[in-house]
Amino acid sequence: MSAIIILLISAILVNNFVLVQFLGLCPFMGSSNKIETAIGMSAATTFVLTLASMVSYLVYQYLLIPLDIAWLRTIAFIVVIAALVNFTEILMLKTSPLLHKVLGIFLPLITTNCAVLGVALLNINAGNSFVESAFYGFGAALGFSLVLILFAALREKLNLADIPAPFQGASIAMITAALMSLAFMGFTGLV
Amino acid sequence: MIEFIEPFLLPVIVAPLFALILIALFFGALLGFAAQKFKVSTNPLVDQINTLLPQTQCAQCGYPGCKPYAEAINSGAAINLCPPGGEDTIIQLANLLNLEPIPLNQEPGKEALPKVAIIREEECIGCTFCIQACPVDAIVGAAQQMHSVIASECTGCELCEAPCPVDCIDFIPLEIAPLKTLPEKSLSEQACIRCGLCVDACPVDLLPQQLFWFAQGKAYDKAKDHRLMDCIECGLCHAVCPSHIPLVQYYQAAKIAIHDQDAKHHQAHEIKQRFDYREQRLEKDKALAEQRRQARAELAQAKVKQSDLIQAALERAKSKQASTQGTQNGS
Repeated sequence: MSAIIILLISAILVNNFVLVQFLGLCPFMGSSNKIETAIGMSAATTFVLTLASMVSYLVYQYLLIPLDIAWLRTIAFIVVIAALVNFTEILMLKTSPLLHKVLGIFLPLITTNCAVLGVALLNINAGNSFVESAFYGFGAALGFSLVLILFAALREKLNLADIPAPFQGASIAMITAALMSLAFMGFTGLV
Repeated sequence: MIEFIEPFLLPVIVAPLFALILIALFFGALLGFAAQKFKVSTNPLVDQINTLLPQTQCAQCGYPGCKPYAEAINSGAAINLCPPGGEDTIIQLANLLNLEPIPLNQEPGKEALPKVAIIREEECIGCTFCIQACPVDAIVGAAQQMHSVIASECTGCELCEAPCPVDCIDFIPLEIAPLKTLPEKSLSEQACIRCGLCVDACPVDLLPQQLFWFAQGKAYDKAKDHRLMDCIECGLCHAVCPSHIPLVQYYQAAKIAIHDQDAKHHQAHEIKQRFDYREQRLEKDKALAEQRRQARAELAQAKVKQSDLIQAALERAKSKQASTQGTQNGS
């Protein structure tokens, strides 16, 4: 049990996927204009990330290893992730069409989100078991959601603030992200 | 074909094919099932977009009305095609759909000012063409009678101008009192240093400093959430502000803008109701006309049948007469 808690904390804070490992930066910058959008994106990514890490573990252990084609894992994982993203998209169109419209291109882009593929591959490299893989994926998703929502809240404040003209728009967003990254580096050595 | 491949390569090709086909089949089946199970029939997003449009039904966007334009936006049309809505509508649509606001698309020098139609009544010949053209039933009159515009219901869409055969419809700009804008920055006004003195001073427990940012950034929804409307404009926040920011003036401007926005929404709602009633009425008229036409056709058919019967009877009588005459002559 304590091992799993440590795994979660390390995935959420210490090895945060966005701010420490710099994975999944595209939705981090792209869908963080409004808190509602960020929450929707977080939910979608959490769903895909957790399921993808579990399914890719099964595919790797019970299909690729017995057939001795472990080198095919990147392509196999991409297929798995693409299918899961499609499934999420169908679900979202049914439950919240507005969110579907608002997320736009960023929803299908989860497919090529390096955080999702990264979790699947890192699980293999670390030799995690099925339960560990699931919790590692879930922890990575929670970490992604945490920083995405925090960043969206900051950007909402920034939209109203008096920002000097050269720093307006993307540049202040980059600077904010860098400062957040510095803050998260401070968690190094926590676990 | 297989014999062209070196035997030791066989597992390298067959195993991946097998694995990928297996994965693809499994997920294909899953997605097919999901697409059937979670089928979407209607899209409620169109209604949400439609409520943001001004409902003038003027067709200046190139679509026949506000609803069709809302459908077009939903499937990817530009959000800057609505001159009556102007900048406000574009910003609201951009907020809803998470897009960047873009400037209004219109011919230069042809700014869309709110206006109202006026009929020069001594020239009106009572042709009723404009009454049929008005999408919101804002013109009253009858055939051979003078028409007039109900100014409070007119949306200024100019749809009545083209059908008028004697060109007796003018459009005059509506007199609108200019909105109170944000105050000019005076020399004594400095930047907010977030000291929080105003929060302690506020007698109705608001967050004046937050409201100031919202008013300045025109984030009216958030200002409303932070209870801007509860501000009693006592001026205490201004009095204690070490940066001499005239906070109350900002709040006043924001409140007026919010009232204006609400009024516009209310008006759009009323116009939409009139438009919907008109659509319903036209549909009913059409159905009634169709019914009458059918009744007439049936009547005509019945008459034809009757006249056929009479004709036949006459012919029978004639032939009978002829035959009796023939026998009489023959005898």
